Amino acid sequence: MLLEVRDLRVEFATRDGVAQAVNGVDYTVDAGETLAVLGESGSGKSVTAQAIMGILDVPPGRITGGEILFKGRDLLKLKEEQRRSVRGAEMAMIFQDALSSLNPVLTVGDQLGEMFVVHRGMSRKDARAKAVELMDRVRIPAAGQRVRDYPHQFSGGMRQRIMIAMALALEPDLIIADEPTTALDVTVQAQVMDLLAELQREYDMGLILITHDLGVVADVADRIAVMYAGRIVETAPVHDLYKAPAHPYTRGLLDSIPRLDHKGRELYAIKGLPPSLTAIPPGCPFHPRCPMAQDVCRTDVPPLYAVDRGPVSGPGRGSACHFWLDCLEDSACRGPASDTP
Amino acid sequence: MATMAPVPGTDTTTEPLLEVEGLVKHYPLTQGILFRKQTGAVKAVDGVDFVLGRGETLGIVGESGCGKSTVARMLVNLERPTAGAIRYKGEDVTRLSGRALKAVRRNIQMVFQDPYTSLNPRMTVGDIVGEPFDIHPEAAPRGDRRRRVQGLLEVVGLNPEHLNRYPHQFSGGQRQRIGIARGLALRPEIIVADEPVSALDVSVQAQVVNLLERLQDEFGLAYVFIAHDLSVVRHISDRVGVMYLGRIVETGTDAQIYGHPTHPYTQALLSAVPVPDPAARDRRERIILTGDVPSPADIPSGCRFRTRCWKARQRCVDEVPLLAVPEAFRGEGGPAAHPSACHFAEEKRVVPADAAEARP
Repeated sequence: MLLEVRDLRVEFATRDGVAQAVNGVDYTVDAGETLAVLGESGSGKSVTAQAIMGILDVPPGRITGGEILFKGRDLLKLKEEQRRSVRGAEMAMIFQDALSSLNPVLTVGDQLGEMFVVHRGMSRKDARAKAVELMDRVRIPAAGQRVRDYPHQFSGGMRQRIMIAMALALEPDLIIADEPTTALDVTVQAQVMDLLAELQREYDMGLILITHDLGVVADVADRIAVMYAGRIVETAPVHDLYKAPAHPYTRGLLDSIPRLDHKGRELYAIKGLPPSLTAIPPGCPFHPRCPMAQDVCRTDVPPLYAVDRGPVSGPGRGSACHFWLDCLEDSACRGPASDTP
Repeated sequence: MATMAPVPGTDTTTEPLLEVEGLVKHYPLTQGILFRKQTGAVKAVDGVDFVLGRGETLGIVGESGCGKSTVARMLVNLERPTAGAIRYKGEDVTRLSGRALKAVRRNIQMVFQDPYTSLNPRMTVGDIVGEPFDIHPEAAPRGDRRRRVQGLLEVVGLNPEHLNRYPHQFSGGQRQRIGIARGLALRPEIIVADEPVSALDVSVQAQVVNLLERLQDEFGLAYVFIAHDLSVVRHISDRVGVMYLGRIVETGTDAQIYGHPTHPYTQALLSAVPVPDPAARDRRERIILTGDVPSPADIPSGCRFRTRCWKARQRCVDEVPLLAVPEAFRGEGGPAAHPSACHFAEEKRVVPADAAEARP
């Protein structure tokens, strides 16, 4: 196993109290595998990734528990220096906003080359040659000339390619892509996702794709983990999850997206709003919005049950719902359509 | 609720509510400090025509920089067009000024994309939603305003008691509802919504889309719905226009555009949209366009899409394709017979056939 996250917990000190951003997350990623982490804003999907990369803002953030095993080593037990040699060389991250992630006063060639100078001790000249090679790899036209350009001289799609090139520079084993195409137009998004998938295959990398877009997930992921209020509420192979979700939240999300291939009359809308992380409801955090909530949901936090019975069940499926079997078997976990908040 | 009763139809003519003809917006590029000399122009909108009927929703889709937001801003008079006409009930709004313009603007309101920057953080919700009444005092007598504002908040699904709260006390979806309530205050006939749900999370987006649909039924509103999300646009629109580099390249009903696109750009755009169905992964044909959109300051000759088009030939360089029903489909009258600005228009199905209907 390339990466194994065990019972990870992260808190933030805020003015309104302690925000519990991540509350016991477990997931694994293998070499060559794509895990999609799906969630809405505030679900803890990005914070988990920042903890894995070791780029969490501490303080106000604080890791209060858990292990992050990367190739067998617990990253949380490493010294900052050792951590730095892992970051970039063995695991790398691609951010959503390429323009603010790149340094505006350095040429892209300098920024790409820096990776080789710092981690590999190359000369500036060799590093520059490597930068051109990388830009070629991510199919930036006329890489030899453009290596001298500054980030603002590139289009959004091209900048995201540079981010990908930078992440790939040292051939890491794991890439974390946090909403890599959210800021891009659809035609460019398709180009960038294609490129990412192809490079992943070529280098046999593990990929964690963090996104809120169910369409992107369906296109590229092998497995999927759905997060809500800092917990994983459902995990499954991607085909199974779309065929029959085993958690009412997942079901609600799938039903609430408009479709390209037909025109529905009214969308299903999950009622209410995601909880504030400083006041997560007791029991199942989804219960105030859940159409099938019972008394037990208000008191007992559901563990991640193994989904081993019912249709489309199997190994690798889990659901943090006390009534996962009911949800799996029919659409009882679907409420009426509404437009109320 | 009673205060928000729909306006009864004032006239029953068959003319369209809004008619846009040859709409152009060029931003001049200048050089020199003392003697400013125009050296070119950013052609943000370069000849757009459409009509909007009563109670209808026209969706406008396109990628960033295609000019769709500039069109929206011209419709509500936030930008003056360089050329062209915007006729509201037959009257050209671009020629009006003063009192006559103010009267028309009352009927065309806007909902903005970003609920975080389009609400003044120092004003209470009551002041924000009630501000249109300050500008158009004839719309509501002074003493009645508070009640009106509360009625509006209720209509959009907010607690009417929250009148004295500030925008930061609301979530993104709730803020968008405040923006919608403000747009509704003067009981307009047309609402121009520029990416109204793009900044919202999936579960909240569905609530706001449903709200917009309910309000349309309730008040007989006509929408110009501008978005880059093709699925949302299909869901809400009766007719759709696809924009590329300042022009509409294809237009038709939602079924015509999504089921029977004939313009290569529309086909590429639709094929690139990720579909939330992993089973469709291998069945779908993807058209991946190469390169980026050209600069609107330097638009290619002939067909403006030709630099990225796999079908481009000499004719596309020489001749500007007009937005009309292509010759090949003119006789048939089937769903492919809708206006498409391509010399070599061909029908191509890129969205998988209605998978959802086949499901139980």
